[in-house]
Amino acid sequence: MECFNCGALLTGKDFCEKCGVDVKIYKKIIKTSNTFYNEGLERASVRDLSGAVNSLKKSLELNKLNIDARNLLGLVYFEMGETVSALSEWVISKNCRSGNNEAGHYLSEVQSNASMLDTINQTIKKYNQALQYCKQDSRDLAAIQLKKVLSLNPKMVKGHQLLALLYIQEGKYDQAKKSLANAAKIDKNNTITLRYMREVEKQLKEQNPKKKKNDDLISYQSGNDTIIMPANFKDNTAGQTIINIIIGIALGVAIMVFLMLPNINQKAKSDANEALKAANDTISTKEQSIASLENKVEDLTKELETIKGDSKEAEAKLSSYENLLGAYSAFSSEDIDGAGDSLAKVKEEDLSGAAKGIYSDISGKVNEKYLATMYQEGYSAYTKGSWQEAIDKLSKVVEIEEDYQNGNAVYYLAQSYRRTEELEKAFAYYQIVVNTHPGTERARVAQSFINSNPNLVKPQDGGDAGENGENQEGQDNGQTPENPGENR
Amino acid sequence: MLNFEEELKKFQPSLEVEEAEESIYNHGLTDMTDILVEMMKERNSSSH
Repeated sequence: MECFNCGALLTGKDFCEKCGVDVKIYKKIIKTSNTFYNEGLERASVRDLSGAVNSLKKSLELNKLNIDARNLLGLVYFEMGETVSALSEWVISKNCRSGNNEAGHYLSEVQSNASMLDTINQTIKKYNQALQYCKQDSRDLAAIQLKKVLSLNPKMVKGHQLLALLYIQEGKYDQAKKSLANAAKIDKNNTITLRYMREVEKQLKEQNPKKKKNDDLISYQSGNDTIIMPANFKDNTAGQTIINIIIGIALGVAIMVFLMLPNINQKAKSDANEALKAANDTISTKEQSIASLENKVEDLTKELETIKGDSKEAEAKLSSYENLLGAYSAFSSEDIDGAGDSLAKVKEEDLSGAAKGIYSDISGKVNEKYLATMYQEGYSAYTKGSWQEAIDKLSKVVEIEEDYQNGNAVYYLAQSYRRTEELEKAFAYYQIVVNTHPGTERARVAQSFINSNPNLVKPQDGGDAGENGENQEGQDNGQTPENPGENR
Repeated sequence: MLNFEEELKKFQPSLEVEEAEESIYNHGLTDMTDILVEMMKERNSSSH
């Protein structure tokens, strides 16, 4: 403690040892100030903020330099939502003692958070606006504004109190009670809060006269709250909890089965149907494609066959032309046999108009010589008894000109076949002789052969039997019906 | 029964941040010690 006159440290004596001033009263003032500070601190610690404010103010009225008291007053103001008052106390405190002062820390905390400071200012402005609304009898607007204020700053005791006052005025005592309870949580012994609460409870009692106490209910007070509960209420035991869980699971499963599964099944079915439709569409498209491709294959096969046919035809034509050329070449070199062989292989229908002319020209010339040669050789072989050679030669002659040498070629061919025991062929050629040269010696011989082989006879129109072939045997031996050389 | 109007008069507007400076200047800082010092000065001057 310092002397108020000279600033020297005071001792236990009632006067200053330096300047001699009487400090007895001063000491009492300082002690009283400290006592009030202690009282304020105790009140603040039990959330009697209004009482704390009163004690701390008294402390400061006695000693304005009681820094702890001033700092605590600022803190209490801050807790009650009176931020500007708190800031004022801390600023003054800081000015009274600049060093070793918590107020500096508090101020820097607030000033460093610009958004918080802005929010505080907005809250204060809204509160003032709400108060203005109240004075203008716009209680609805005021209530709305106050709710905003309290959402921003729930510790603003004045806000809760004013809102409660508005509710009381509106007759909403339950809500007023809640607001007052909120105010009481911050500042327990605020006289305004307590007075309003008493009024609210009084009004609530008037509105809800006491009911008969229900024996089944138990009520008790927990702080400011009245708890009412059934007398036979029991906390759930572990077994009950498990049973409840099982029932809950069963209900969940039942809901799943009866409500959700049908939908899931329906969706699955519709999905499957859609997939089936899509698959069917795909299959029909593929089938169409396959049919189209099959048609194409068929067309191409036909085309290929046509081309092959054309190719064969072309090959045949080519062969005919080659044979025609070979015949011409052989004819030019006077190889009549070769020319004849080649001409025999030529198909006239394969030749064009000009080629046909050449063919007929060559064949005419070749055939004449060829037939003569073949006939001569065939006959010569026949006379020598070379039946097979005779058949080969004479067959070629008959093939080209059946009636060559007035039927001698076919006659000797038949004879040759008869010699080689090829009777069916012999019979056929004998029949030609009979048919084409009736009345001749050869026809008679032929007829006699036919008659001597009745098993080979075929029905004939007007065929007469004649003599048997045995007589002809003798005639054939060494005798010819006609001289082939003469016919040439 | 509470008188709303009378109760409303007890609610004063909160100081806004802009008003803090003025509030500090107007803050009554005279304490009992100041009064004591003043009284002692008056007594000393009257005794002389």
